[in-house]
Parts: sequence; C-alpha cells; structure tokens
Amino acid sequence: MKIDLGPVTRIEGHLNVKTTIENQKVVDARCVGEMFRGFEVILKGRDPLDAQQITQRICGVCPYAHAIASSYAQENAYKLEVPANGRIMHNLIQGANHLYDYLLHFYQLSALDFVDVTAILQYTGKDADLLKVKGWVQYELASKKTFPAAPFLPRLNGDYIKDKDLNIGALKHYIEAMELQKKANRAAAIFGGKFPHSTAIFPGGCTQEARLDHIINYQSLIGEVREFIHNKYLPDILAVAEGFPEYWHIGASKGGFISYGLLPMSSERDSQRLLTGGILQGDSISPIDFGSITQDVGYARYSSPSGLKVSDSTLTPAPHKEGAYTWTKAPRYDGNVMEVGPAARVLVDYHQGHNQQVKSLVNSFATKVGIEAADLNSVLGRHLSRAINAVVIADFLLAESDRLTPGERTMADLSIPKEAEGYGATEASRGALLHYIRIKDYKIDNYECVVPTTWNASPRDDRGQPGAMESALIGTKISDPEDQIESVRIIHSFDPCIACSVH
Amino acid sequence: MVDRRTFLKLAASLCTTFGVGSLPAPVLAALKKITPGAVPKLIYLQGMSCTGCSISLLQADSPSPLSLITDYSQLAFHADLSAISGKKALNLLEKYINGDAGEYFLAVEGAIPEKMPEACVIGNKTFAEHLEAAAKTMSGAIAIGACACDGGIPAAEGNLTGAIGLKDFYEKRGINKLVINIRGCSVHPDWVWHTIIHLVKIGVPELINDAPALFFSRKVHELCPRYHDFQQEIFAKKLGEKGCLFKLGCLGPDTHADCPTRWWNGGQTWCIDSNAPCIGCASPTFARKKDFPFYRISEQGHQPV
Ligand code: SF4
Ligand code: SF4
Repeated sequence: MKIDLGPVTRIEGHLNVKTTIENQKVVDARCVGEMFRGFEVILKGRDPLDAQQITQRICGVCPYAHAIASSYAQENAYKLEVPANGRIMHNLIQGANHLYDYLLHFYQLSALDFVDVTAILQYTGKDADLLKVKGWVQYELASKKTFPAAPFLPRLNGDYIKDKDLNIGALKHYIEAMELQKKANRAAAIFGGKFPHSTAIFPGGCTQEARLDHIINYQSLIGEVREFIHNKYLPDILAVAEGFPEYWHIGASKGGFISYGLLPMSSERDSQRLLTGGILQGDSISPIDFGSITQDVGYARYSSPSGLKVSDSTLTPAPHKEGAYTWTKAPRYDGNVMEVGPAARVLVDYHQGHNQQVKSLVNSFATKVGIEAADLNSVLGRHLSRAINAVVIADFLLAESDRLTPGERTMADLSIPKEAEGYGATEASRGALLHYIRIKDYKIDNYECVVPTTWNASPRDDRGQPGAMESALIGTKISDPEDQIESVRIIHSFDPCIACSVH
Repeated sequence: MVDRRTFLKLAASLCTTFGVGSLPAPVLAALKKITPGAVPKLIYLQGMSCTGCSISLLQADSPSPLSLITDYSQLAFHADLSAISGKKALNLLEKYINGDAGEYFLAVEGAIPEKMPEACVIGNKTFAEHLEAAAKTMSGAIAIGACACDGGIPAAEGNLTGAIGLKDFYEKRGINKLVINIRGCSVHPDWVWHTIIHLVKIGVPELINDAPALFFSRKVHELCPRYHDFQQEIFAKKLGEKGCLFKLGCLGPDTHADCPTRWWNGGQTWCIDSNAPCIGCASPTFARKKDFPFYRISEQGHQPV
C-alpha cells in the first residue's frame, strides 16, 4: 500500500514523504522536497557582501546561521582578522538563535505528537492562562463548526500521554515557550539589529557597538531562557520519554554523523569550538575535508551533472526529469550517508571527549533513562540532544557575553579581493551548514550552500542508498497506515526545513 | 471596495491569529462584540517563502500568543502550527478552498512560481492551483512580506521560476479580489497586526501601493534619527561607525517604512540603531538587481565611484 504523508505539517516548508506499507511496516520511504527557488543562480554575479543578506532569506527560521556561515566563508576568502568583539558578537547572536529554535521545535512543532490537548477539558486548577484555553476549547467543541478548535484539532490518530497533570503541565509550557522564544530572539537582535534577518552581521564582525547596557540586557534575557530550559524544557522531555520509552529505539538513521562544530572559542580562524566538529562513522572519528563532499542528483530534479564537489556545483532545474522525485540534492561524504543535527553535534563531540559538560550530561541522562550514548540516534535521542545543546549553549552565552570589551572595535575593515574563494562551516540548529563562495572580478562567480536538511531529507544517491531520514523511516512499525503517527514522530525528530534543504 | 462588515470580519479573523490581550479598551470592546462563533476563519498558506514572516508574526510583543490561540483563534490552517498532517490536513484545506467549510480569508506568505508551477506544491496540487481555486471562495487576501507582495528574493535577477507576488498573479489571470500588501523581508509583526486593528475600528485603511499608509507613507530616511547627521554631512566611513550611513549604501532614502519610529523585536533595536545600513527590505524592488548592491564598500575599495 502506498501512502503519501504530505503535506507534513509542524515543520518548515513543503515536505511530502512517499511511503510503502506492508504488514503494518514502512518498507519504503522517499522524501520529497516540494519547493525550489534557485538561490545559487540569484547569487551569481552579485556583490560578495550581498551574500550574508541574500542567504539569510533561504530560511527565516535559522537566518542567523546562514549569515554566520556566509560571513565565515567571506572571512576565509578575504583573509580577514576578526576583532575579538566581532567574533564574540557572532557567537552571542548565533547561540541565542539556537535556544529559540529548540524551544519552538519542542513545544510548537513536536509536543502535539505526544501531548493530549483534550486533557485541558479536565483542568480544575486556577491558572488564568489554562482556564482561558479550557473555556475556548469547550466553546469550540460545542459549536457547529466544521473544524472546531483548529489548528489544534483535528489531530493524528494515535496514543497520547495519559497522565492528566503531565498533559496540562506541557500545555502550560507550550504557552510559556511562545513568550520565551521571543526573549531569545530579542537577545540575538541586540547585536544582530533585528530578527528575523539580521542587518548587522558582516564578515569580520558586527556593526553594533560593544556597550555595557547591551551586555546586561543580553544576559538578563538569556538568563530567563536558561531557567526555562532547566526547569521546564528538560523535565518535559524526560516526561515524554517516560511515556514513550520505545522511541529510544525507533527512528535510527543508518549512516554516519557530521558536525562542523559550533561557536568558535577565539577570533582566530579554525579555532577550537564549544562543540567540536568531525565525522563519526561507527566508533571512529575523523577530521572533515570539504573536498570529500559531493552531491548526487540522480533522483533530484536537476539536469546539471551528478556527483559534483561543492566548489564545482552548478544548478539547472529540470522539473519533469524522469525518475527524479524531489528538489533536494543528495549530499554524501566519501559516498556515505550522513545524519546532521543536534544528535550529530552531541555524538561527534562526546566521542572525542571534548566538551566536559556534554560528556557529563550524556552520561548522567543515559544512566537515568537506561540508554547508551549510541541510542541518541533515535526519536527521543534527537529531542534530548537538543536539550543538551541548549544547556551547554546557554551557559556558554552567559560567560561569552562577559568577554565583550566595551568600547573596543567590533568590525574588521573590509576590502574585497579581485579573486578569492572560501568555505564557511557552522552548525545551524538543524545541523551542519556549509557555504562556499568564489569571487571573480569582485563579483560572486559561484556560491553553493549545503544545508542541514539537504543531508537529512536527501533522496537516494546515484548508488541507490536512501538518505538519513528515509533510512530512519524504513522498517518502522505503524498502527494506522493512513495517519502514521509513528512516522510523523520520526520526521519531526529531525526538524526538517525544506526552504533550507532546497533553497 | 469591500464593505465595512466584511472588513470587520477580516480584521477579526486576523485578530484571532495574534490575540487581542493588550488592545486599547475601545478596540477590545468592539472586538468582543464579535462572538467567537461568528468570526470568520483564516487560511494561512505558504508559497515560495522562508517562513521568516510567520516567525516574525510570532515575535509580536502584544497581544500575547495565548490570546492568539484561545479567545479569538480561528486560524483554521497554518502549516507550522496545525496538529493534523498529511491527507487529513489537505482535506481540511480543500474543504475551505472548495467553499464547503464557510467563509474564510486568505493570508499568503511567499512568491508564486508563475513559469515553473512544479517549483511549489502543496499536497496533490501546485501552489498556483490552490490560489486560483481560493480566489473563487475567499473573502479577500493579505499578502504578507516581500515575497508575497512583489516576489521578493525568489524574484530577484536570475529568477529561474518566474516568481511573482500575489496581486500580480491574480491580475495576470483577470482575477479581481482585494489584496492588501504588507511589505518587508520579513514583515514587522505590528505592520500586519495594526492593519487589522485599523480595519476593525475604522474600516479600510488608506493604502499606498496597496499597502497601509500608516506604516509605509514615509521614508526611513525622513524619519531617521540620523537625518541630522545627513544634513551636517557627518557620515560613517566604514562599517561599525556612527553617523549617517548614506555613504555605505544605506537605502533609507529609497524605502518607505516606519522602522525608525517603530523599532524591532519589542522595541529592542532596529537596523540603523545598530549601525547597520537599511537594505531596503520593505521596498517593492528589494534586492531586485544584481548590479545594485546593498552596500557601497566594495565600490569604495576597488572601483571608481
Ligand atoms: S542613516 Fe540612512 S536613513 Fe538615516 S539619514 Fe543616513 S541615509 Fe538617511
Ligand atoms: S530599516 Fe530598512 S532594512 Fe531595516 S527593517 Fe526597515 S526597511 Fe528593512
């Protein structure tokens, strides 16, 4: 039986997943990215300094990650010395953006896969927010509407959390998270100029001044977010895990992991990062070589050649190409399938014993819930990894903001070379993000972005290997072939972003 | 022209999207008269967008997100929030679009790939087909952000898909429906929200270029606190300096928007306050031409100006 899961909601953008079901099991899955804009062609021939602006519009959920990746790529190309304040501001902006994204993902995008919204009808407490919601749901359900209580109902068929208090607590935090994500974004905007789509980020730093009032303001906002992460976000994930322990073993991808590393600890290029990067295959870690990344288009709607290296990329759309089923290319590392994202960040760092906080968090949670580190390759593992990222990043941001030196410069002097090229690699909240720029005659000659969801939602490569998310779906047992809440939980655990993946 | 009643409904439907918790009392009172059951529904569709406008709408400082999802919520569909997914979500969407689920207003974020319809698909239909069908049943539409208004970055030079904005798309098909344009890449949440309040209290707001004059009648340059620097010729010479940013390429003189008086992210800051030149994101020609860069730094460094 063939079932299309699209349009998949509570993600960014236009995703379909074509599944084949036999004996209540997913025997095939194909990820279909259904929106294409052609950014690389739009960038070609433009002024190089337009790039960190244009590429932010690839994704309005994680625009800052694109601005940073583009800035790194240009810094490499221009051989810039970045002042310490400039690098710190980049970090403060990008880190805060991660925090907002994790909260939005868990509460607004994922919680309704597990939490029973209708539990609100049994609420007997006095919380004004919850009473309001209760009244609204009661009114809606009593009305004669075609779809009462939308967008929260109707929902997918499935088993939801049974404990009334857990459900109600999570709904309260759903509401609070909507306020908290704004605070994280406000903090980022202090240095970024505005959110979404920062105007103040440049290669070489930020245009904003380093001022004490900015620092204090930032710390106060991030402090509030940090408290929520510890007191609500983490406990909520553990509560979901208690209700659905089988999801520690559902949704494992079948390839390796890449993380480029997140948040450089000093202004030098290639400096150590808070979370360190690398390639993890089985138990072995190796350093990253951008030259080993190629992108296949055998199953993607392009007539440009398949298997090109990042620096040689070209883009010719072919919407009616025979055999192609998606707009997403298939990136591979030395021909291998890779998962990117929060679990990759944690696992790649953990296996190198780099960040001691990551190590102790993984070990203590693993003991608490009875899993191995390797089980982070799962639905719950990805959720927990986001929270581990959040804890580590929030602590770092509070310390990092203290390192800003008021009054010192925040921007390098810019001078665009006639010819140059550079790679910029960072971690968006959804995973490994690579930008490549080549400049000729002061203009962009080639620009290529290999984006997290391009890896995760990739189609078959030319050898027929399914992408990370496809491989995580294949083999999943499902209860209702039409709704497939189990598959939807797996998809959501990757937090796919189709605007990013295709761009 | 749409009558006031229709506009009230449009307004109310959008109020529901963002809540009404902190409106002035008279506005609140006017809204309260609309019983939740009578409030029309809002269908929010995304085309070739980055979701930045939806994310920006979630940054609205007041009203609160709680009001958004309770009292007045009639947001029947938004791909980022809807619990239902897949075929059943499509079924809900199509019931509205076919006119079988009552009245609704359409909010559109993102451009339309006019020349390559396969470049944007929702379920079993292209985005363009959904929009054509919706034109027959919707009460009106709001184009949210640069892409939905004028094509935005997808329509910048090099445009492979024939990306255009909603009004243009409907005009090309001879469809004459009210489309209010709220520009910005992304929109400021207030621009969308307060347009609705105006609709509720007074009716059709004054429009310039189909955009509410309240926010878009004056140029960033005219309202800019550095206009004095401009007149005194106190110019920033490099990025990160204070002073008027004109010589770095600031597009404030070409852009109609009230950012200098409104500020962004709950009044935290805005572009020029953080010494970042305005890149004209609220202009209909935002980013359109390859040889019209955002900044003039490269020119200064290497090319005779
Ligand atoms: S900074 Fe820009 S908007 Fe402000 S006065 Fe100068 S040119 Fe005009
Ligand atoms: S100041 Fe200019 S670039 Fe900044 S948000 Fe306003 S219109 Fe957009």
